Amino acid sequence: MVTLTERRTAPAVVATDLTKVYGQGDARVHALRAVNVAFATGAFTAIMGPSGSGKSTLMHCLAGLDTATSGTVHLGDVELTGLSDRQLTLLRRERIGFVFQAFNLLPTLTAEQNIRLPLEIAARQADQALFDRVISTVGLTDRLSHRPTELSGGQQQRVAVARALISKPQVIFADEPTGNLDSRSGAEVLSFLRVSVRELGQTIVMVTHDPVAASYADRVVFLRDGELVTELATPTPQSVLDTLVKLEA
Amino acid sequence: MLKTALAGLRAHMFRLLLTSLAIMLGVGFIAGTFVLNDTVQAGFDQRVSADAGKVDVAVLPKGSGAVLSERVLERIRGLDGVTEAQGLVRGAAPLIGKDGKTVGNLPTTAVSIVTGPLDRADIVAGTGPGTDDRAAVLDDNTAKAQGMRLGDTITVLDAGKAEHRFKLVGLLDTGVDQELSFTGAVGFTTATAKRMTDFKGYREIDVAGTAPGLKQAVAAAVGDAYTVKTGHELASDLARAAGVETQMFTLGLLLFGVVAMMVAALVIYNTFNILVAQRTREMALLRCIGATRGQVFGSILLESAVVGVLASALGLLLGYGLATLTLTVLGAVDAPLPTDAGAALSPVTIATGMAVGLVVTVCAALLPARSATRVLPVAALRTHAEEQTFRAGLLRGLFAALFLVAGSGVTAVGVFVLEPGRNESLLAVMAGGSLTFLAVLILGPVLVRPLSVLVGWIPGRVFGVPGRLAVGNSGRNPKRAATTTVALTIGVTLMTLISVVTASTRLTMTAKLDEQFPVDYAVMDQERDSVVPRSVAERLRRAPELASVVQIRQADATIDGRHVSAGTFRGPVEPYVTAGSMAGFGPGQVALRDSDAERLGVQVGDSVRLRTERAGTVPLKVVALVDGNQGTLPSVTVAEAAFETYFGAVPDARLMIRIADGVPRERAREVVDAAAAPYPNVKVSSAAETRGQFDETLDMLLMIITGLLGLAILISLLGIANTLSLSVHERTRESALLRALGLTRRQLRAMLSVEALVLGLIGALVGAVLGGVFGWAAIMAMLDGALLSLPVGQIALFVALSGVAGVLAAVLPARRAARASITGALAAG
Ligand SMILES: Nc1ncnc2c1ncn2[C@@H]1O[C@H](COP(=O)(O)OP(=O)(O)O)[C@@H](O)[C@H]1O
Ligand SMILES: [Mg+2]
Repeated sequence: MVTLTERRTAPAVVATDLTKVYGQGDARVHALRAVNVAFATGAFTAIMGPSGSGKSTLMHCLAGLDTATSGTVHLGDVELTGLSDRQLTLLRRERIGFVFQAFNLLPTLTAEQNIRLPLEIAARQADQALFDRVISTVGLTDRLSHRPTELSGGQQQRVAVARALISKPQVIFADEPTGNLDSRSGAEVLSFLRVSVRELGQTIVMVTHDPVAASYADRVVFLRDGELVTELATPTPQSVLDTLVKLEA
Repeated sequence: MLKTALAGLRAHMFRLLLTSLAIMLGVGFIAGTFVLNDTVQAGFDQRVSADAGKVDVAVLPKGSGAVLSERVLERIRGLDGVTEAQGLVRGAAPLIGKDGKTVGNLPTTAVSIVTGPLDRADIVAGTGPGTDDRAAVLDDNTAKAQGMRLGDTITVLDAGKAEHRFKLVGLLDTGVDQELSFTGAVGFTTATAKRMTDFKGYREIDVAGTAPGLKQAVAAAVGDAYTVKTGHELASDLARAAGVETQMFTLGLLLFGVVAMMVAALVIYNTFNILVAQRTREMALLRCIGATRGQVFGSILLESAVVGVLASALGLLLGYGLATLTLTVLGAVDAPLPTDAGAALSPVTIATGMAVGLVVTVCAALLPARSATRVLPVAALRTHAEEQTFRAGLLRGLFAALFLVAGSGVTAVGVFVLEPGRNESLLAVMAGGSLTFLAVLILGPVLVRPLSVLVGWIPGRVFGVPGRLAVGNSGRNPKRAATTTVALTIGVTLMTLISVVTASTRLTMTAKLDEQFPVDYAVMDQERDSVVPRSVAERLRRAPELASVVQIRQADATIDGRHVSAGTFRGPVEPYVTAGSMAGFGPGQVALRDSDAERLGVQVGDSVRLRTERAGTVPLKVVALVDGNQGTLPSVTVAEAAFETYFGAVPDARLMIRIADGVPRERAREVVDAAAAPYPNVKVSSAAETRGQFDETLDMLLMIITGLLGLAILISLLGIANTLSLSVHERTRESALLRALGLTRRQLRAMLSVEALVLGLIGALVGAVLGGVFGWAAIMAMLDGALLSLPVGQIALFVALSGVAGVLAAVLPARRAARASITGALAAG
């Protein structure tokens, strides 16, 4: 595990002095305060922190869903800061995958259509071998023609992960992907994420506040009040919990 | 949180605003119609009130065509307490226009203009003729149309077609008199009016006098044969008679108002359904903290009542504005209506407008309010709205089938069983149409999904991912989509129906005209007993440019006491014989129109007794029956020589002329015009002109009706905008997800536009089909031997415009959707 992060030198995503301020005057909230962080290519990184610490904001800024107040974000060799909405959209389309906590799928489309959606939006051909491999890995082969309402929560999240993988993005951002799942389904989704990092070399950044979920990652970074406070390599549930307890104290 | 709350409120306001607009337009149209009617009626009242002041008693003959003799006038003049009595003369006296021909299709009406206190003429320029027998006045519209000015010399034909010249000294306003405004009026002194018209007696005698009980005295003097009215009674009767047409017109307009309100009701129903669905959580929360079902129900109804009242009030203002505008326009184009009485919102208008708006709004909100009471308190705890699932229930199918069968059955009876042209046939088709429409209304939710797939086939391919997503979305909430599109269907159905009916009428009439007018030119005068001097036909017969000239002569006669029009012909006539034969047609023989033969109860071989002017009663043998719908023979035709012995050397009533092969139309026309030129009353018309006039009338009608139906379409578009803005609202999360996955703002907008396009097209297509079918049914029920014409281009245009309009309706909701921030939407919920 350690070797994986060390082997790849160029990080996939780098944030420099990233600051995000919401509101004005009395209502000013510093969601992020000069965050400096890099996410290694081919690694599975978790972002942890108490509720309201800025995890989602950080992810949104890194993924080009939101623009930072100051500081820069680099996705590979592209600097996100200063890109127009349209450029950001095209960038997300080409290079980024998403898994959200809920409402991941379009209810009008079947599982397969949902999985292929990003490729269709980008008008790209699916890599059929990759598609078959992903589908069999996530165990959705017999569920492809089902609509989201006919799938369990865990299956829905697995469809979302498959969808993120299928376009071979530079990075997949996952915001609390197991937040709504029971522990068994959650474990399935998490192992699947880890498998995709191991076997497909996928880069994944996952926001979570669950120490068990974080323990699936190669590395965990900790946020508190919008600041990056510490990080942990090769985490276990216990070590993550300990770090959190220390942070809250 | 505040941001989403504000956004919610804004969305909510927008929706209520759209609803209010729908009601406002409907109520505005109805109120405007009332104001228009009131104003015109007030104008009529105003005009006749002056008359009421002048005339103390008026004597009128009973029954149409009856007149008052000089003796009656003398008797009234001799009564005590009568200071003055004047007889009014009225009769045909054709005015000759600048082209040397009589003006218009009907002869100008001559009226007597009296002097003194009983002068009721409304002279708007110059003076009345006074006692000058060489002076005349014209009604202002005719003078303007003919470019005749005060001081000009005008020429008028008397009853014997002789020309008389007069100096134009004044212009007359025909006021409320519909007959005069229709035919045009020329005013003379009483003596001249008698001389110019075929004077048989007065149309009315006006009496001035101060003695109490004058009316009774006059009534006693003239006897039961006449009606005696006071000046006020006369005035109010005149005003009422003048208003009858206005009221018919008002009723017609109100019909469109009803259609508009129906569409508005659908829009309101949908809006409140939407509001309820949107506030499920709010409502559930209310129920959690103890609100009863009744309270929830009441709160929705209250909301609808407030919307109804506000919108209706605004609608009244809008109606007032619309009416004022219409009156200004009508005044500017010199419509024959009083438009100057000053528009006003009467209490009746206000009450009606408010009541209609309020009742329609609240009734349309009833069902949504009931569904609001079904919200369970636990719904407050659910995080997101359930996907609307819809299954086509057995009951729904059963009802739809029932209505469909009943609708087709009743329509079929109207088309195939009942006689065309009767009111019942058309009513049957209308009833059948309504029943079928109900079936479509019930089936709507079932139809939406397959139709959206069908209609969305092309957009789904042209617009890529956004297109395909849009097609999926449009069938997503079938009930809502159905209600939205049905509102549009109503308008498009009616438009299509009207255009099919007009096109078919045009085709049928043109075909009939070709049959009845199998000639190039017809020559006749404008009066019923048309007189064309024989010299015209003689001259034309010599013209080498013409292939044939047929002369038709007519005279009044009786057969067994029944009035008939007897006539003869000279020249090559195509008689369209349906029974018997006209070969060797000669004296002692008669050909009857089949309808007349039926009326008289005779057949070929029977004998009829014709009473003639000169030869007494003559027995005639029926040798042939001719088709009354085709051909040009008089209803009772005898041979030419026989006709002369029976009726004398009667002038021709009309000529029918065919151009010789190879002669240019212009050249032939010149020849015919030249032959008719010496006789101002003799007018030449061509089939093409007649058809042109007919076409113009139809086009005008089509334009007006389509314009009025535009209102219903406009209201249904508000419904589309409304539905879409809710969809946008409901799918905030989904839109954010799509944006995160790389859908650009423009693609998101395109997605909503395509959804609107699909909704618009579904509504329009269903409307086009319904309108086409029932347009066919209506024309079959209205006209005997109707020919169907489907104006495909026009209908396609309606459908295309509906699609475009749908896209326009999506502009605002789509913009809002595209503007929404992704992270905000992801965080919310
Ligand atoms: N759109 C927004 N407007 C104002 N404040 C916001 C907004 N989004 C997040 N915040 C604030 O920024 C801080 C960080 O939020 P977030 O990144 O969602 O935290 P986390 O995901 O760690 O729970 C919080 O204090 C939150 O209240
Ligand atoms: Mg968060």
